[in-house]
Amino acid sequence: MEANLPMKIIKSTLSILLLLFCTIGPIYASLRYEASLTKDFTADIVARTPEKGNFSPRHIKVQVGQKVKLRVRNVDTVMHGFAIPALGIDAGELKAGKNKILEFTPTKPGIYDFYCTTWCSEFHLQMRGILEVE
Amino acid sequence: MSNENNNNQTDNDQPCCDQAGCNQSGSRQKLLGIIPLDWRFDLASIPLIRWILKQRWFPLCFIFMNMFLFMLILMSGVIGGFSSGNYSFGIMMVWILWWVVLMMILVPVFSRTWCMVCPLPSFGEWLQRIKIFGVGKKVGGLNLKWPKKLSNMWIMNILFLMTTYFSGFFTVRPLATFFMLGSLIVLGIVFMMIFEKRTFCLYVCPVSGFQGLYSNLGMSEIRVKDPKICEKHKKKTCVTGNKNGYGCPWMLEPHSFKKNTYCGMCLECFKSCPFDNMAFNLRPPATDLLVDEKRGLDEAWKCFIMLAIAVMFYVAMMGPWGTIKNWVRGETFIGWFKFISLHTFFALVVIPGIFGIFAWLSKVVSGEKDIRLKKVFVNLSYSLVPMGLAAWIAFSFGFLLPNGSYLLHIFSDPFARGWDLFGTAGIPWTPFGTVWLVPLQFFTLLGGYLVSVDYGYKLCLQTFADTATAKRGFIPLLVLLTLVTIAFGWLYGG
Repeated sequence: MEANLPMKIIKSTLSILLLLFCTIGPIYASLRYEASLTKDFTADIVARTPEKGNFSPRHIKVQVGQKVKLRVRNVDTVMHGFAIPALGIDAGELKAGKNKILEFTPTKPGIYDFYCTTWCSEFHLQMRGILEVE
Repeated sequence: MSNENNNNQTDNDQPCCDQAGCNQSGSRQKLLGIIPLDWRFDLASIPLIRWILKQRWFPLCFIFMNMFLFMLILMSGVIGGFSSGNYSFGIMMVWILWWVVLMMILVPVFSRTWCMVCPLPSFGEWLQRIKIFGVGKKVGGLNLKWPKKLSNMWIMNILFLMTTYFSGFFTVRPLATFFMLGSLIVLGIVFMMIFEKRTFCLYVCPVSGFQGLYSNLGMSEIRVKDPKICEKHKKKTCVTGNKNGYGCPWMLEPHSFKKNTYCGMCLECFKSCPFDNMAFNLRPPATDLLVDEKRGLDEAWKCFIMLAIAVMFYVAMMGPWGTIKNWVRGETFIGWFKFISLHTFFALVVIPGIFGIFAWLSKVVSGEKDIRLKKVFVNLSYSLVPMGLAAWIAFSFGFLLPNGSYLLHIFSDPFARGWDLFGTAGIPWTPFGTVWLVPLQFFTLLGGYLVSVDYGYKLCLQTFADTATAKRGFIPLLVLLTLVTIAFGWLYGG
């Protein structure tokens, strides 16, 4: 019995490590990978129709002359769009489940509206937010 | 259709054979008159396979692998693109990949091998055993016995039917899939902490019931190699367990297995048998349908429910009826309520009612007065198993070919966050082989029909007193199976 003890401990430890690897492992690895991809993002904008939550966040502050990197994620079941017309930024159409990364450097301070550019619901015109360049 | 079963049976309560493959006169039955039903090939006769099946890390390694995937599936329900099913790892993995693999490969070929590698009850089982890897005697939880009155498929029937009430949500809302799988894991843990061994898998898990029934059609089985060795073995370690393996977690007696319905293929009997007397056989399809053991109304209703769901899923997901789609998707509560009422009535009353009429006709036409209608009803219901599985396989082609390409996207971008892990995220939706969809569905239904007809006839021979009455009693069943096949053909391809 005693002779088997080290083997039992090894097996138990290995089992628990495997269990952790297969349960916590994928969660940890996914979150780490996502964090590594998004570490230099200025904002991660989720797009939904206004009745389901609108753009989130709807107010983004950035510094003039500094590079801005936005990811717009359409988590909705309908098509959306994203544009900041005053800055000449247009992500075009964003199909359901798709996302786009936009990079630009604002050169003038001001408050710029961003919009959904695709008719997505009867409240489409309310689907907008503000990019504040300080 | 084989007509070799020329037995002259006179006792209605005695089937012509208990074991598939022979009849009372001793002649060999054949599937479609070609394949002998008693043909077997023991995969475990290959030394490497037997060695693998006897290792404690098998099938544990596959359970761990599936657990890894299930964690990603659960995660995608929470942090993935939560509104669009086609870009959800969870929805695509569960309702496209898993379902297709389960219905097209695992169940028809490998019977209940999904139960062998299913990660859902593992947390509960490990807590119950207070062990993950080895074999121990300590038991965690209350270890209570499941009530005998509930030791059948009724709870699984109802739960599976109720699960389909939410089919309009599972396939488009990742969070719904998350809640369903999460509930099964929690329910599994709770049940395993209260009841003994795999009570949850045996009598509660909604996925288990139809796998059990359809695995009777599966082309593999776990059986003893030589029953004489088991007769002499007094300890019956396949039931009681030993240092190498647990006593059957599914609370069966592996030394006298006759059909697949309740065998979860966990392989513990391979490990606990000191004589290496267990076999993992390949066999002709559906031989278990002829095994007259534990047949009952619960399994008959499982046949009907599965047929009804195959119809409803097609109507709701692929049919042109927008109103019904809105009902299923729960656009309004009243609409959804209409859907679940109609669906339940169709599954529990209409289809069994139609079958009941044909079973009654079968009894009347056979001319045999002494036989009970219930026996005809139950026995002949098993002829629907090949037809039902064929309908499900045909239905599965209907979403695999048009939507399978989404899998390439979600492998690379599981949470709809713009990842490209394997370089396939940019592959657009590309329907594949859809020109072959209807022919594939047609031939699948035809195959199911032929096997159903063949076994329907064999079941009639088993049910009625002699060949003449069986032939007469078979006529209404043949008409019904033909009508069902035509109906599915019209629905899928019409």
